[in-house]
Amino acid sequence: MTLFDKIVSRELTQNEAIDLLRQWRENNERKSNEIAMIHMFYDIYSGKISANERLMLKEQLIFASLDVHDLLTEFQIDFLLQEFPASMRVMRYKAMVREAKEKYDEALEILDYIIKADETNAPARKRRIAIFKAQGQITEAIKELVDYLKKFMSDVEGWQQLCELYLSVGELQRAVFCAEEMLLHQPHCHFHHQRVADIRYTMGGVENMELAKSYYCQALKLNPENMRATLGLFLTTTNLLNHYKSSGNSAKRKEAWKLSQWTQTKAAKRTATKKIKLTKMLLNLAITE
Amino acid sequence: MAELLLDPHIRFWVFLPIVVITFLVGIVRHYVSIILSSQKKIELLQVQDSQVMIRARLLRENGKYLPRQSFAMRRHWFNNEETGYFKVQKRAAASQNPMTDPGMMTDMLKGNVTNVLPMIVIGGWINWMFSGFLTTKVPFPLTLRFKPMLQRGVELAYLDASWVSSASWYFLNVFGLRTIYALVLGENNAADQSKVMQEQMSGAAMAMPPDPKAAFKAEWEALEITEHKWALSNVESDLLSITEDKN
Amino acid sequence: MSGTTKSKDNKTEPIAYSEAALRNNAIVVEYCRTSMAALSGSTAGVLGLTGLNGFAFYVLSVITLWVMFMIKAGPNWHKYYVSRQSLLTNGFFGALFTYVLFWTFIYGMVHVY
Repeated sequence: MTLFDKIVSRELTQNEAIDLLRQWRENNERKSNEIAMIHMFYDIYSGKISANERLMLKEQLIFASLDVHDLLTEFQIDFLLQEFPASMRVMRYKAMVREAKEKYDEALEILDYIIKADETNAPARKRRIAIFKAQGQITEAIKELVDYLKKFMSDVEGWQQLCELYLSVGELQRAVFCAEEMLLHQPHCHFHHQRVADIRYTMGGVENMELAKSYYCQALKLNPENMRATLGLFLTTTNLLNHYKSSGNSAKRKEAWKLSQWTQTKAAKRTATKKIKLTKMLLNLAITE
Repeated sequence: MAELLLDPHIRFWVFLPIVVITFLVGIVRHYVSIILSSQKKIELLQVQDSQVMIRARLLRENGKYLPRQSFAMRRHWFNNEETGYFKVQKRAAASQNPMTDPGMMTDMLKGNVTNVLPMIVIGGWINWMFSGFLTTKVPFPLTLRFKPMLQRGVELAYLDASWVSSASWYFLNVFGLRTIYALVLGENNAADQSKVMQEQMSGAAMAMPPDPKAAFKAEWEALEITEHKWALSNVESDLLSITEDKN
Repeated sequence: MSGTTKSKDNKTEPIAYSEAALRNNAIVVEYCRTSMAALSGSTAGVLGLTGLNGFAFYVLSVITLWVMFMIKAGPNWHKYYVSRQSLLTNGFFGALFTYVLFWTFIYGMVHVY
């Protein structure tokens, strides 16, 4: 029985539902559909919750409603605004509703007001950038985001967004800089290593391939189950093998060959039945010069 | 030395009240300090400075995960003689005299009001109200050195050192109950422990360096002497050897 | 939480710990330790232990608490704590102060008068 069925058939008790919401909140899980469903089928607020938690539940619901495009949540926000007329946080929700309704100018107006009142309000600045992105003004968004990152330099999410934006416009050199910045902040996260490697591989060239190889290896070391890194390593080593075949650096060639073999056996283990197909497929994918 | 006999009334009218009063005053102080604490307004420049410091520190610590060129590029950006961030950004030295900053003055005053004042007032009151009693005896022998500490207000040369006077009992409580406060007051927000923690962490990020100029200089020096050591130089062979071990 | 900064060398592979989780564990352990000190102090007071007996009782209760942690954590203790020894010794004297206070308090209430 899935969680959805449980919610719909009201199989959870009210307290279990509250606990579930709390757990998602603490783990930063989005789960917008589930949250909206729970609020639809349970009267959460009549449960035993503190005043503080009631507000947090409301915030959670507002975000979830916006995600599932339930714009009726504006009522909730208006109530909150009456309760806290000067709250920047509630005003930001207001801006987000405008944003969801695609009234971007009004949203920007509110956000500008917030930023003017409190210069250090990072979330409001981020929403501004999100609006530009939603409107498809990528260059504008990049400009704003660079500006933002000049002030909030240790914001990993900001760097990640900038990395993605640069990738979408094909600025690989800059994207790799952002990816490396993320790596600096969280050097134990295998995704970041994999991301740097992905970009380096795409950039091409022997030097970048060597770096991509190292980063893929590090990603695999941190998480041996990372299939994307395994496949990436295979592609990289295949590419390097082709290169060294012509230039004849035997030590490096041997190493690349070993890694290539290793990834093949590893990939084969994961997809035991499709072994031949997979290797063939990968070879077709590889960049050959 | 013969055992002393204490009047049982002392237990209920001196010994117990001191414990209760100290405890309750601590609780009240906690909530008063919550009421008085003001949300500090942070300036954009301070946030920026602290975030730059974090980034520079991370570059020092985790720079080994970047290729040499990327590392050098970042360090150049921070440290370059002409255009480096730490060279270009000029920050006024923090004012040495906190009296010139009225905001800091009120903060200091509040700190005094919530911490020092009750200590003096309640301590003085207890000294005056419950003075001259022997309240209890510590259940272990002590040397004579402890006499001035434990028998404040009772100057008897031949009294055994393990007897405790009322004033000293108060101070013992003030210091000993600290951990209990953590237990009791922590319980109230135990449900939101992660939230408290997040606040602490973001608080660390938001906290401004007291003197950005000095902090920049220190960071500049630290970054200048950092050597780049490529951490992934052996990663390929490591990876292969790990899996070989497993097989 | 992404803060993985504390790492420990285990010859071949550095192990990364989540800083937030470590801190949370430390808070919980501290909580247990304070409660233990208060409870065992009260017990010692009621029992009327004096002198070295009382301190021996404190050491005993610290060790008991440690054993209970170990039983609770099971064979995977290294998933939760960096080292077992520090779990035993950390905060030994801080809790001792609480213990002595409660011991003195209850002993005074019950046995002195």
